[in-house]
Amino acid sequence: MIVLGSTSEVAQAFVEKALREGERFERIYLFTSNKETTERFARHIDVKFLQESEIIELDLTKEINYQNFDYITSSLLFCATGYLGEGTDEGLYDNKNTQRIIDINYSKLVPIINYFAQKFESRRSGTIIGLSSVAGERGRQSNFIYGSAKAAFTAYLSGLRNYLFDKKVHVMTVKPGFMATKMTEGLPLNPKLTATPKQAADCIYNAFKKQKNVTYVLPIWGVIMMIIRNIPEFIFKKLKL
Amino acid sequence: MKPNFIQKVTNWGNFPIVEKEMRSEDSFRKIKEFVLDHNEVIARGNGRCYGDASLGENIFSTKKLNKFISFDRLNGVIECESGVLLSEVLEISVPQGYFLYVTPGTKFISVGGAIASDVHGKNHHAEGCFSEYVLEFKLMVENGEIIICSRQENSEKFWATIGGMGLTGIILSAKFKLKNIETAYIRQESIKAENLDEIFRLFDESESWTYTVAWIDCLQKGKNIGRSILMRGEHAFRYELPENKNKNPLVLKKKFSPTVPFYFPGFVLNALTVRLFNFLYYKKQSKKEVKNFTDYETFFYPLDVVNDWNKIYGKSGFIQYQMVIPKETGKGGMKKILETIANSGNGSFLAVLKLFGKDNPEAYNSFPVEGYTLALDFKVNSKLKKLIDQLDEIVEAFGGRIYLTKDSMSRSSLTNYLTNVQSSKFVSLQHKRILNNTK
Ligand SMILES: Cc1cc2nc3c(=O)[nH]c(=O)nc-3n(C[C@H](O)[C@H](O)[C@H](O)COP(=O)(O)OP(=O)(O)OC[C@H]3O[C@@H](n4cnc5c(N)ncnc54)[C@H](O)[C@@H]3O)c2cc1C
Repeated sequence: MIVLGSTSEVAQAFVEKALREGERFERIYLFTSNKETTERFARHIDVKFLQESEIIELDLTKEINYQNFDYITSSLLFCATGYLGEGTDEGLYDNKNTQRIIDINYSKLVPIINYFAQKFESRRSGTIIGLSSVAGERGRQSNFIYGSAKAAFTAYLSGLRNYLFDKKVHVMTVKPGFMATKMTEGLPLNPKLTATPKQAADCIYNAFKKQKNVTYVLPIWGVIMMIIRNIPEFIFKKLKL
Repeated sequence: MKPNFIQKVTNWGNFPIVEKEMRSEDSFRKIKEFVLDHNEVIARGNGRCYGDASLGENIFSTKKLNKFISFDRLNGVIECESGVLLSEVLEISVPQGYFLYVTPGTKFISVGGAIASDVHGKNHHAEGCFSEYVLEFKLMVENGEIIICSRQENSEKFWATIGGMGLTGIILSAKFKLKNIETAYIRQESIKAENLDEIFRLFDESESWTYTVAWIDCLQKGKNIGRSILMRGEHAFRYELPENKNKNPLVLKKKFSPTVPFYFPGFVLNALTVRLFNFLYYKKQSKKEVKNFTDYETFFYPLDVVNDWNKIYGKSGFIQYQMVIPKETGKGGMKKILETIANSGNGSFLAVLKLFGKDNPEAYNSFPVEGYTLALDFKVNSKLKKLIDQLDEIVEAFGGRIYLTKDSMSRSSLTNYLTNVQSSKFVSLQHKRILNNTK
């Protein structure tokens, strides 16, 4: 199994869920930009499940040498990489921050998924699970840079699913709504609309087993987004969302 | 949106409720920052203490310190971060043939909370407190430094922290021993006792059993005072088990846990329902004595079966009143306590009686001293304070004390037994309350 964004609490909860359900992997490749946190997790799954893993440092904003990954032969890729982009003083017009959001959520991420997708394609097997976001379904004033990158990512995943379908590789898009994670700690989220990483992992795992194409973590988000998508633009533009 | 970490926080008794900053971090650097940036800090595990012990101005939740570090499967030594729950330890240790030496009546507490309260179980008379099996822990102290504490290294801090209610720092991780088991089952005997004299006699007779505990029907009066059921148990050996349990003796089937969906309205729990519950509980067992095998979950954690059962006490919450009365005068004290409760009409759903064995003098901040301990649940209402005052009076007269991890309203002369914990950095609402209230 390959994990992109291994410090993500959802990714970690998903790995635990899979192992608890009895899945075993020859090795789990934990790609991360934060070695310390990921090492804790690697030791944890070793103690708990006797599951071997390997930590691979990866900074999406830097040059990537793909040859380093040639030996990796897993057939499951879980991608939880994401960057909300905390508000800066310059706000929207902070181009460095904007670039970073686009890089991590889309432009630098796609090539690395492509790299593994190609491997899956040539073996004619495998599953790619990508965490996108409901923020990608309609641009809102509060986070549309992030949202637009996620929209692009969602479109990428759906296209990839289409492309890989007859090559026996499955692609699943996950659209979590609010989640109680590091990314959102301290924000006033409605608990009824907010999933814990564990809830999210359970749901993603079940969807993975059922080979779902697109899944919302909490079903209510499917309904909410349907409404949001259908608000006419002339009203939507006046809303403070 | 700017992060705002102020939130409503309350512990298992839903009383008191505070609105304070609560943060959780998993990197030592960030934890240090949090400690240094705030004047008053208190650690919080899983909030299973009943009262105000893990509440404070700035609460550090160990929720994210939830990773295992090592498990020596040969010698049964486990190391994990302090926010790991006992339930998570059991999840991996039981299938390997290991159990916790000491466990409280719920498995949903953190390892840090187990050390900070130095919890006891049904085997205190035989195996002591949780701390007996703790080899070492890492503690973040006032200046943000991390020290290793054990019987050899920083032993002063080691013993002050045990039972020290978080007032010496934040426990980050701990290493402790587990006990060997052959099966996940308990050989159990339940015996009915008509009154207090009989239950005390049964406790004495059961001294050689590892686990003993009694459930008391605390609404009985007169000659029936102390009507109860004693339960005693041993970890079952493989050869003892009936065949249907012997195929896979270390693995239990998953059970369904219902959840209490909302706070029950006030009228649900009243003197009548409590009386009915205790009556049924006692009558459920029609025979004088029952011997059987039961899985460890049912034996140790009967209450964990219902998630959020604390909500049945309603929004105003409840308290747990747990005291210990030294052995010499214990029986007389218990009798007075039970009489007072019966006369008050303020019934307790749950009343658990235990015999504590000798304490470990090194663990000077631990609650248990040799004697009788009784734990009672009371719904918070306008009459409660008066009852608690009456009970405190008796406990004081008999030279007893109150368990800090359950306290939220007892007089401070019964709860001020901690030593070596004075700190201007690590401060809980409970400790402030105790210091300010010198009654
Ligand atoms: C149903 C039920 C049954 C119980 N039965 C028993 C029993 O049989 N025997 C018994 O002894 N107790 C019993 N308890 C009480 C419980 O075991 C203790 O209150 C325990 O300390 C709770 O642990 P926690 O992780 O929830 O900690 P919290 O409730 O969050 O905190 C408890 C105390 O520990 C401190 N603390 C927590 N984590 C740390 C840390 N990392 N570093 C420093 N300090 C820390 C807090 O500051 C606080 O003072 C029971 C509780 C319940 C709800």
